[in-house]
Amino acid sequence: MIYDIAGIRVKMTPRYEKLINQSKEYLSNGEADIDIDFPDSITEEFFKEYPYLSKEDCEYILYATGFYEKILDYDAFMLHSSAVVKDNEAYLFSAPSGTGKSTHTQLWLKNFRDAYILNDDKPAIRITPKGIYAYGTPFSGKTNLNVNIGVPLKAICILERGEENKIEQVSVDFAIYSILNQTLRPKDEERMDILLNLLDKVLRNVGVYRFICNTDPKSAIISYEGMKDKNICFDVKKG
Amino acid sequence: MKIKKGFMLRNVGGKHIVVAVGEASKSFNGLIKLNDTACFLWEKLIKGSDKDKLAKALTKEYEVDIKTAGESVDEFIKTLKEAELLDE
Repeated sequence: MIYDIAGIRVKMTPRYEKLINQSKEYLSNGEADIDIDFPDSITEEFFKEYPYLSKEDCEYILYATGFYEKILDYDAFMLHSSAVVKDNEAYLFSAPSGTGKSTHTQLWLKNFRDAYILNDDKPAIRITPKGIYAYGTPFSGKTNLNVNIGVPLKAICILERGEENKIEQVSVDFAIYSILNQTLRPKDEERMDILLNLLDKVLRNVGVYRFICNTDPKSAIISYEGMKDKNICFDVKKG
Repeated sequence: MKIKKGFMLRNVGGKHIVVAVGEASKSFNGLIKLNDTACFLWEKLIKGSDKDKLAKALTKEYEVDIKTAGESVDEFIKTLKEAELLDE
């Protein structure tokens, strides 16, 4: 089957319900840009190594990994984050699992009528001639919260749990460190170079913030207000 | 002394940063930020060097006396050793 994900045509043949359903919106045709299919034996091997996962989850992880590894060649990479859209701009809340990314973006939906979830687990960030975009993908985690659309990327927000709500811009190295730990880390120097080049472009065009937050519904307003007006990122001349 | 394999120095977002790939990344998932001096020393250590050579190189490149250069080198080497980035 051919799917159009983040503007890239992908050959993929999911066999289990979860991914079949989550990918329906992305079905396409034509020639594949990338082929991420793998034999059943790979799923079996993976399942043996991680028996606490279902085969369905194994397939999901294998396809997601394959996809995110290959899209580096299409100026794109994954950020483990919950992506929410408001005013046709994407805000990606990134953090390790269990921090509360989805909890926070759900608060955006409660506070802002026009907000929607672009991708709740692994959106793709792509450098395009039109600018830097965030894309919905079938890889949206436990739920089917994803939309097959590309939206200009406004900001990346590194989320942490805390007592008081506080948002601030971060240093370049904090941004790189945080993003590298929430993406698919390339295995060799060549692939890492590609990712670092993409990161460099992102850092020069997109705001990166750190948001220490609690579960107060008003935290959504604080994060939005803290990011919506600034159009810049880092002053890279000053560094 | 030489920098261990798998540590890459690159300029990202206007900063010199070091990240690990491959085997090295299994024990190091951090990131190091280098200033210009550290960057200069790092490049020498990629090929392999020793404290004396590094100190001398610093005095040639920067307006600094050999004693200060030696101190800078010592401090830098110490940091690299603590982070386990150096093969001796």
